[in-house]
Amino acid sequence: MPPLEHILVVNAVLFAIGVMGVLTRRNAVLILLSVELMLNAVSLNMVAFAVYGHVDFGNITGIVFAFFIIVIAAAEVALALGIVVRTFRNRATANVDEVNLLKW
Amino acid sequence: MSDFGFHLAFWSLAAMTIGGASMIVVSRNLIHAVIWLVLSMLGIAGLYLTLSAEFIAVVQVLIYVGAISVLMLFAIMLTPRAERDNSQHIKTAGPAGVVVIMVMIATMWVAIDTDWGAVREAALTEQARLIGESLIKHYILPFEIGAVLLTAALVGAIALARQDDEDAAVHAASLQAELDDDGSVDPVDVVDPPLPTDGEAST
Repeated sequence: MPPLEHILVVNAVLFAIGVMGVLTRRNAVLILLSVELMLNAVSLNMVAFAVYGHVDFGNITGIVFAFFIIVIAAAEVALALGIVVRTFRNRATANVDEVNLLKW
Repeated sequence: MSDFGFHLAFWSLAAMTIGGASMIVVSRNLIHAVIWLVLSMLGIAGLYLTLSAEFIAVVQVLIYVGAISVLMLFAIMLTPRAERDNSQHIKTAGPAGVVVIMVMIATMWVAIDTDWGAVREAALTEQARLIGESLIKHYILPFEIGAVLLTAALVGAIALARQDDEDAAVHAASLQAELDDDGSVDPVDVVDPPLPTDGEAST
C-alpha cells in the first residue's frame, strides 16, 4: 500500500481544487461538481485512515463512513439539480450571483 | 506486485484524479466538465483499489460514474442554453487563489509533519462481510436514516423538477424571450404570469 502521507497530500491537492472551484465559478452545476470533489477527497481520507488504523483498534468504521458520505452525496446531488432546473425555468439563469431574489 | 509498479500505478492514478479535477475548474463547457468529473471519479476508485478497499471502489464506480454523472448530464441537457457561455469566473479569483493556496499548504504541512502512527501494512480482509455486519449491528440507526433520507430526496427531487401547467406557460414565455433577443432575458418578464381576474369579472 502507498504510504499514508502520499495519499494525504493527494487529498489535500484535490480538496484545494474543489475549494477553488466553489470560490471562483459562477454556474451552479459547476459549483456542485466542485463540492463533489471535496466530498471525495474527504471520503478517500477516511478510507486511508481506516486502512492504516492500529491493528488493535482497527475496524471498518472509516469505510462505513465513506459509504454514508456517498449516500448523502447522491441525495444532495438529486435535490440540488432539481433546484437548479427549477431556478433555470423561473429565472432563465443558472449563475449563482444573478439569483438574488432574497437579497435586499 | 513489485514496488516500482505499485508506485507507478499510484502516481498515475493520482495524476489522473488531479488532472480531471483541474479541468473541471477551468472547463468552459458544462458537458465537458461532467466528463472530466467521470475521469476524476474513476481515478479515485483506482486509488481506493491501491488502498485495497475494494468494496468502496466498486460502490464509487456504481454511484458516481454510473448514476450521479448521468443525472448531471440529464439536468444539463434539460436546461437549454446552459451548457455554453460559462467562461466567466467571479471577479475575485485572485484572492480566492491566495486562500486556496494557503489551505493547500496548511493541509499538506499537517499531513506530512504529523506522526500518524500508521502501523498496519497488511490489507483489511473480508471487507464486504465486515461492512455488512457493522451496518446491521452497530450502525443500524444511521443505515435506516439513510434509507429514509434517500426516499425523501427522491420524492423531493421529483416534486421540485416537475413541470405543472402554469410553469409550462412561464417556460414557453422564457423560451420565446430567449429566441427574441441576444440571450439577456429580463427575469421580470418571465417570473409572474398575470393573475386571472375572474373575481372582478363575475361581480
